[in-house]
Amino acid sequence: MKFLEKLRRYIRVSGIAPISRRYFIMNAFDGATTILGIVIGAYVAEITSELLVIWSGLGATLAMGLSGFVGAYMTEEAEREKKLRTLEKSMLTELTNSVVGRASRFASLWAGIVDGVSPAIAAVTCLAPLFLSSVGVFSTDFAIQLSVAIALSIMFLLGVFLGRISKRNIFFHGAKMFFVGLIITIVFLALKVL
Amino acid sequence: MIRRLVLDVLKPHNPSVVELSEALSHLDGVEGVNVIIYEIDQQVENAKIVIAGSSIDFEGIKKKLEEMGATVHSVDEVAAGKRIVEEVRTPQDRSARM
Repeated sequence: MKFLEKLRRYIRVSGIAPISRRYFIMNAFDGATTILGIVIGAYVAEITSELLVIWSGLGATLAMGLSGFVGAYMTEEAEREKKLRTLEKSMLTELTNSVVGRASRFASLWAGIVDGVSPAIAAVTCLAPLFLSSVGVFSTDFAIQLSVAIALSIMFLLGVFLGRISKRNIFFHGAKMFFVGLIITIVFLALKVL
Repeated sequence: MIRRLVLDVLKPHNPSVVELSEALSHLDGVEGVNVIIYEIDQQVENAKIVIAGSSIDFEGIKKKLEEMGATVHSVDEVAAGKRIVEEVRTPQDRSARM
């Protein structure tokens, strides 16, 4: 059986698709919010070196990714192991080497990967203008503004995605997520003024 | 050379009957599969599986079922040989029922 077909079967059998969707949204939102906080914080503190912001952002990204992977993997593994044992009791047979057992192990790993990679993708995307600024493409001020705009856009898009899943107003959901990012931005900018 | 096999199988809800029947139908020597769920519990379900083909490999079927997380409870009917012989009613069956 082809690799992709096998993956699709494991996803179907384990029912991991909606769970990983939740993990993806939650953690991508975390990633965007964290970087938004770091970038705005650096702006308020009047840090002029992009490298300081980039390294702080990458440190947070690595920590979020690792904690996301380990946390989700271990939680899913424990829950799925319990479910598999209950099923084995009902079946009166061992299922470790069956498609059910393999799908269960795959689901834990998949949840870990989604949970670890999603904040990293959001965070690196938000940091991209600062990378470009460090090689002289943009000015630092413009890079910070662009980084904040990207973070807020990611939040809006995640809301749109949630709206699509729940088949409700996508703009309303997008605006709700956007509003959270806006609060962080306004609070920090208000601190700067004070 | 097995031509028809009727099995009583216990399986988890997932993989579904669709996936199970598809997986069985791709095996060598199998020409058709019919899966009927006749009992559903909280964790598992019982299925009657009828497999028809030109040369069914029973061990291969059993292995595939185990791979899909199912177990064979009983082999309820086997038809083997050059042609399929259907079950016939005999006077003895009638007297046995009386």
